Amino acid sequence: MSLLVEQLAWGHPLPGGDWQQLFRDFSFHCPQGQFVVVIGSNGSGKSTLLNLVAGTLKAGAGSIHLGDRALERRRDHARARWIGRVMQNPLEGSCPGLTVAENLRLAERRHRPALGWGGLVGLHPNGVDRRRYRTLLEDLGVPLAHRLDEPVGQLSGGQRQTLSLVMATLGSPELLLLDEHTAALDPRAEASVIALTERLVRQLGTTTLMVTHSLDQALTYGDRLVMLHEGRLIGDWTAAEREALSPEALRGFYGTATMVNPAAQSSDGPASP
Amino acid sequence: MLSLWLGAYDQGLAYAGLALGTYLTLRVLNFPDLTVDGSFALGGGAAAMLISEGVPVPLSLAMAVFFGFLAGMVTGLIHTRLGVNELFAGILTTTGLYSITLRLMGRSNIPLTDTPAGILHLPDLGMGLDGRWAVGFSLVVFGLVLLSALLLATDFGLALRALGNNPTMARANGINQRRGLTLGIAAANGLVALSGALVATYQGFADVTMGIGSLILGLGMVIVGESVLRPKSIPWALGAVVLGAVLFRALIAMALQLGLEPVDLKLTTALLLLVALAFGRLRLPGVSDPGGTHR
Repeated sequence: MSLLVEQLAWGHPLPGGDWQQLFRDFSFHCPQGQFVVVIGSNGSGKSTLLNLVAGTLKAGAGSIHLGDRALERRRDHARARWIGRVMQNPLEGSCPGLTVAENLRLAERRHRPALGWGGLVGLHPNGVDRRRYRTLLEDLGVPLAHRLDEPVGQLSGGQRQTLSLVMATLGSPELLLLDEHTAALDPRAEASVIALTERLVRQLGTTTLMVTHSLDQALTYGDRLVMLHEGRLIGDWTAAEREALSPEALRGFYGTATMVNPAAQSSDGPASP
Repeated sequence: MLSLWLGAYDQGLAYAGLALGTYLTLRVLNFPDLTVDGSFALGGGAAAMLISEGVPVPLSLAMAVFFGFLAGMVTGLIHTRLGVNELFAGILTTTGLYSITLRLMGRSNIPLTDTPAGILHLPDLGMGLDGRWAVGFSLVVFGLVLLSALLLATDFGLALRALGNNPTMARANGINQRRGLTLGIAAANGLVALSGALVATYQGFADVTMGIGSLILGLGMVIVGESVLRPKSIPWALGAVVLGAVLFRALIAMALQLGLEPVDLKLTTALLLLVALAFGRLRLPGVSDPGGTHR
């Protein structure tokens, strides 16, 4: 599904009574299946944008559409049926007290309300589930297939983030939000998780927004690269246009308040590849 | 002497619902629910009033569960809909429940002179009336544990456990936190009210103040059970909680046997909980405040 953000406004109060308006008339379009990498300095609104789309923050004005659904009218747990999300902190993306299999079951049941009568019927995770999860993890090349019955709290940060990513993509969500999901990982785990990300996104064709501070990732992954500054889109490049960029050039754009390239002025941004 | 320990066993099982309810809120939902002090007395008072009015015991117990469920739902709604702090939400409900229980009972104390007919039909195992109570309570508590284990083994139960474990992640996986917390707290208080009703029928009276200290008692039972069995699965944890209830009552019986006055019962309970917490801290890291380990 395509993501369409129109005339979004959001701000927050500051200590002392002042008001900080971060987004003002912000518009952004992400065509179906596009993998967009979002960069920008701290406080530019990257994570806030993801929170607004996911529903953990409520926009002051504007609309957010996923396909033809108006997301701003749905609560965050309702949006979760269509949106998979991986947070920056590996501790946040899964339940440490539940086993790997139970976490997968939770993610798999995302599309059905577990707290209704239907939730009382399904037993979890039975033998069939375990076999299916083992196959799923083995097919993805994730080394967790033999740890299905272990509490997630016993996994390393990289393993937890891998599990969070598998959970977020389970059931083929229509939108995937990745919020600096490799920032807390060591280089080896980071490489493993980002490679799995690329593979899953391509395999599922999910519309994806990936926030990162890694310029290497920004210049390597995704179909499109966008740059935010103080709640405004100041840079927007297709994968082909991105070829001309270097990490140094990109680094130079950080903190720039002016438009970096003309494409960013259009809410649609560069065309889908 | 045997009668003392059998009595402790019976009482422990009568209090098992309180321990299971406390486990559900505190351990599964990670919600410190102070409603239990009110819902325990509500269950006891409602059941005693109904039984004394001639309502059959099973129906009276079911009504007690329903009232407890409603009380828990009120706390859940106050917390999730009005955004009131979890402790204050429980205190508010408990404070209100005192008057409601008193209104229901019509007076502060209702005696129940007759042993329920159902108990008299059970085998006594050669131990008289206490033996019959032991059989009856064992059946009820086995059913409660089985039902709780089944509930927690469904997707519904998994959702409740996820909410207590990581609410952000639970919401991100489509779980309605408001509904989950409200239903979980309601179910827990239904169990607690049933416990109050069983205690009232066993001891032969209900008193409007019988719920005071229930949370502490339930917490002590949970910690003692977990310290002894160190459960690694949900059914095992539920069994541990029931064992904790029996052991805790046995400890109190032992204290009374050693010459302690009944008037010191609450102090004894608090001290036993303190010992259980210290014991838990030594054997189960994470049970009590890690700050306490600093020298």
